Amino acid sequence: MKPASGSETSEPEQVVFVIDDDPAMREALDSLLRSVGLGVRCFGSVAEFLGAPRPDIPSCLVLDVRLPGKSGMDFQKELAHSGTPLPVIIMTGHGDIAMSVQAMKIGAVDFLPKPFREQDLLDAIAAALDKDRLHRTQSAEIDTLRERLATLSEGERSVVALVVQGRLNKQVAGDLGVSEITVKVRRARAMRKMQAGSLAELIKMAGKLGI
Amino acid sequence: MSGRSPLPLLGPLLGRRPLLPILLALLAAAIFLADTVTNLEIAVAVFYVVIVLIAVRYLDRRGVAMVAAACMTLTVLSFFLTRAGAVPAGVVNCAISLVAIAVTAYLALRAAAAEAQAREAQAQLAHITRVTMLGELTASIAHELNQPLAAIVLNGNAARRWLAGGNPDEAGKAAERIVRDAERASELIKRLRGLTRKAAGKAIWLDVNQLISDTLTLVETEAGRAHVALRAELAGQLPRAQADPVQIQQVILNLILNALEAVSGEEERDVTIVTSPGRSGEIVIEVRDSGCGLNGVELDHVFDAFYTTKPEGLGMGLAISRSIVESHGGRIWAQPAVPRGAAFFFSLQAGRTGSRGSDQ
Repeated sequence: MKPASGSETSEPEQVVFVIDDDPAMREALDSLLRSVGLGVRCFGSVAEFLGAPRPDIPSCLVLDVRLPGKSGMDFQKELAHSGTPLPVIIMTGHGDIAMSVQAMKIGAVDFLPKPFREQDLLDAIAAALDKDRLHRTQSAEIDTLRERLATLSEGERSVVALVVQGRLNKQVAGDLGVSEITVKVRRARAMRKMQAGSLAELIKMAGKLGI
Repeated sequence: MSGRSPLPLLGPLLGRRPLLPILLALLAAAIFLADTVTNLEIAVAVFYVVIVLIAVRYLDRRGVAMVAAACMTLTVLSFFLTRAGAVPAGVVNCAISLVAIAVTAYLALRAAAAEAQAREAQAQLAHITRVTMLGELTASIAHELNQPLAAIVLNGNAARRWLAGGNPDEAGKAAERIVRDAERASELIKRLRGLTRKAAGKAIWLDVNQLISDTLTLVETEAGRAHVALRAELAGQLPRAQADPVQIQQVILNLILNALEAVSGEEERDVTIVTSPGRSGEIVIEVRDSGCGLNGVELDHVFDAFYTTKPEGLGMGLAISRSIVESHGGRIWAQPAVPRGAAFFFSLQAGRTGSRGSDQ
């Protein structure tokens, strides 16, 4: 891995957030992550982290369990419940198995008992960033699909809803009380608007959109 | 050695060792003179027991034996030097004086040995409770040590990567942090070593505020884990106290750990340590908690051995604390705190005023 050649020269295209109340750990993590060319933002508490602006780029959170105020575990739980997609890596001073199981259950990417091997942390961060990147492309894709879906007329949408369930044109016509020709026209128009090359593709899109 | 507390009245006079032989010699000379000038019938020599009793406080076995022998020699000497009085009565009086001195020396030495044994037993018990307290703190201490160690490992790896990437500046900074964090870890170990030391150390001119700050670093993690707000309100100008830091730290630690336990399970978890100069040349240390208070606790018995309100308590902590505080000439007491909870106080006799410089 290449070391960063001055973090100010270019905006990093990914960032690692660190929350640890121990300044020595923050400095060490900051230095290590910068040395492999990652963008880093360090915070001493959950409140500090929540108060800071977050750039809209692939990111992950390295979180210490024991924090003043809200504990790391509680915050991870909150993030998970609020549906925030930020991947979390948990660090702990005294990792017991019960705690690690709990952390993984609520969706932590990894659980690292201090002191850990730096490669373990870097691997976990790479996995977390990949996860966030994947999530971001997926949600971007869904956004585009949603935009396309919004351009469909009421009639086209009801045709799509039935077609993706495997109903034939004739059956759809019967269901909706319109002619088969109308169904065919609406279906072709919907396929064009959704930019679906085949029925299979349309079904996949519908699955992503939850129709 | 520790714990040889001076006689309350003669203390200020005898506290300075170089004066002791002169004082004893003067006293002996006065008795010798009185014994020689008075009649043989008057047994002034019996007063030599005073010298023996003083000597037993400050000298070891051999010293006391030598002092007693000297007193007996003087008694015999003044018997021969005395001119006035009946000789038979003089012989009897001289014998009585000799026996009195010898018996006094013997009994006093035995009492001193018993006292020393009691002190030894108390010191051992104190050591055991100190180690027990350390056991309670193990998880916190491990975490406290783990933190700088984890930082050292990360900094070491960071330095390696910076060097490989041709950035010696950043590598140097990481190396500096390694040194700093290693020092932090060894500082903590140094503090722990004090607590595990077997024999109590010597009394020094102690900065109580500093001792409390050091002790707080040992329990901060423990408090943080239990979500307790641990605060210290330390008096700005506090006289020093002549005290054994290990023992006083044990008392403080014991009171804080009790307080942490008292607030666990409470809605509000506050523990406050306050130091203040007391009324008559004292230092008062208070550990206050917002716990369930002292309801149903017999205040007169809190400090008794084997008195405990905790399901797993031994009832030794406060008893040991009391014996430590009292052996320092201080007091320890408890009272309900306002608006809720309990407050434990102990006092130490203050020495010089003004805690400036680092005279230990």
